[in-house]
Amino acid sequence: MTDAAAPLRRPRVRRGEYLAGAICVAVIAIMLWPLVMSAFASFKSPAEAASVPPTYLPHSFSFDNYREILTYHAGLFSYVWNSLSVAGLTILFCLALSVPAGYALARFPLPGKEVIFLILLASMMLPFQALLIPLYLLLNDLGLMASKPGLAVLHTILQLPFSIYLMRNSFEAIPKEMEEAAVVDGASSFFALRRIFLPLVAPGVVTVALFAFITSWNEFIGALILMNHEDSFTVPVMMTGVMTGNFGAINWGGLQASVIISILPCLIVYLLLQRYYISGLLSGAVK
Amino acid sequence: MKMTSLPGFRRLLLTASVAAFSASAVEAETLSMWVRESAADPGKLMVDLWNTSHDNKIELTAIPDSQMITKLATSVQAGNAPDLVSFDLIYMPDFMKAGFLTDVTDQLNADPHYANHIQAYKDIATYEGKIYGVGFTPDVSVLAWNKDLFKAAGLDPEKGPQTIAEVVEDARKIRALGGDTYGFWFSGACPGCNIFVTSPMMVAAGSKMLPKNGTDDALTGDGVKTVLEALKTMWDEGMIPANAETDTGANFVSAFTTGKIGIAGTGGFLISLMAREHPDFNYGLTVLPGVEAGQVSAFVGGDVVAIPAKGKNEAAAREFLTWVLSDDAQLNGLAKNSILTTRTDLADNEYTKGNDKVLTTAKALSVGYVPWVFHFADMVNSDSSPWIGMLQQAIFDGDVDGAITDARAAMLEIAGR
Repeated sequence: MTDAAAPLRRPRVRRGEYLAGAICVAVIAIMLWPLVMSAFASFKSPAEAASVPPTYLPHSFSFDNYREILTYHAGLFSYVWNSLSVAGLTILFCLALSVPAGYALARFPLPGKEVIFLILLASMMLPFQALLIPLYLLLNDLGLMASKPGLAVLHTILQLPFSIYLMRNSFEAIPKEMEEAAVVDGASSFFALRRIFLPLVAPGVVTVALFAFITSWNEFIGALILMNHEDSFTVPVMMTGVMTGNFGAINWGGLQASVIISILPCLIVYLLLQRYYISGLLSGAVK
Repeated sequence: MKMTSLPGFRRLLLTASVAAFSASAVEAETLSMWVRESAADPGKLMVDLWNTSHDNKIELTAIPDSQMITKLATSVQAGNAPDLVSFDLIYMPDFMKAGFLTDVTDQLNADPHYANHIQAYKDIATYEGKIYGVGFTPDVSVLAWNKDLFKAAGLDPEKGPQTIAEVVEDARKIRALGGDTYGFWFSGACPGCNIFVTSPMMVAAGSKMLPKNGTDDALTGDGVKTVLEALKTMWDEGMIPANAETDTGANFVSAFTTGKIGIAGTGGFLISLMAREHPDFNYGLTVLPGVEAGQVSAFVGGDVVAIPAKGKNEAAAREFLTWVLSDDAQLNGLAKNSILTTRTDLADNEYTKGNDKVLTTAKALSVGYVPWVFHFADMVNSDSSPWIGMLQQAIFDGDVDGAITDARAAMLEIAGR
């Protein structure tokens, strides 16, 4: 760009930039507001956090709420570890099932493929609560009650339709010619999946993993119904417990502190994987 | 497709769960016990005391209040129930009827301490002549007043309101202090709070509340109308903060503890909460009043402990039930921790001596009522129940008579199911 051309174009670009910037700042502010308030509230003393009318900024700085959840019943780390391990297993199960399923649905001439796909998606349309009792009995018969793999299976069932949908789209977005080239070179279907497709659908895989993590991390009712011991409960169950007082009274301070704690892993995972996440979500969107 | 994919993992998962099972089999003497979250603190005190002096240890798990019923019902049906459970006594009738609990009639009838057990707990845990549990960690509703505000308003700070009319008069004088000081508080969108603190005033004023079946009496007598009109007066005159209308219980306790409220219904749990969080708060407790001085009532709440049907350690669980009524549990587990005893002969003990507030709650416990009805959740506790609908229609919309008629019809319809 030459110096002569710059002064002519800059003002217009700037005005547009400022406007876009202002809109972005406004949107970010709206999105961040509850989180910031939550963070502030978590550092208030328990009495101040519950005060009516509520204060915006903490009048005193206190770690009491964090101390409370740290030693709450089985201890915060027990709940976090349970949540993380169940979420890890859920990611594993989801990927193990949705990658081959998406591959098959996208690349093979299965008879009644669309019907199978629709049936798979149909479970997304049912409220999860309606499936809970049958799933509970099924897992009980399988001997998976009150175990982390059992809860991970439940979360996988929840997340699987969406995962397969996403993986199918990812596989379909890959040009047919690549597969044909692999076949011509003598690659089997499995070899092609492993060596050709998987690197190409990596964003889709990451997106599936990300969504599986978030679903499992946040899921409450299944974790509560399936698990039977304090030391096997997950973070959302702990949060509901921390929050509950007599007759609907709410422990605001404890609740906000656990909100902040529960956001952190999601935030870290998202920040690490967001690059892939965006491209994964868009894969197959335009064909 | 899902089903065919599952067996691949099943063997691995089964192995894992078998390993988990054999690990727990080694600790066969550990009993599992569930307690609802809001009763977890007193429950833990009792269980800790038991664990110090018994070989069979109890492992306590707190379940969020709103999910206790769902979780217990599903687990009993699937044969996964805990060995002991402590839950809101109000659900006893439904659970006894459904056959979810173990019959402990012979054991308790042979127990000399059971004769002194508070009548309300005996009643709520009895179905068709059989007994299914005992009172565990009691609570009871009372009326609290802020002594500092009473003094500032020119009222006698040592004397709480003795009638519903006095509640209104005192609240009016306190509101006259102006600013953000209000006379009275109730959580207008919290069904459970109001059955706890508002219904006893109706009962004290001579009303019968909830129907046992479709042809029973419901909301009869003048008490319901008297209390609703008193609350409507206080609402109309601005003696109650505006946010009471939508409060689902989040401020049930905290509204009073801010020190800006003159009078509020509350529970015995306030004593330990205040001692812990607001030790200098100057307040008094009295029994919930009726129309005339001397008419009093209370809602007997808290938890009962019972043994879910098909439990694996029934014999050991039965021992715990017997222990709950023993002197050790009552005095060292409950009374020592400022919790009421569930035995009338121990109500006045070394720990309660001279503590007026605890004695007030003990009195409330002895005069209190607990409704023995099925479908309590639908009739009262749900957010769209006829009970809360009546309060809102009468107090905030101003239609007292219509509210009572509508609620009565809806309650009878539910009770007749």
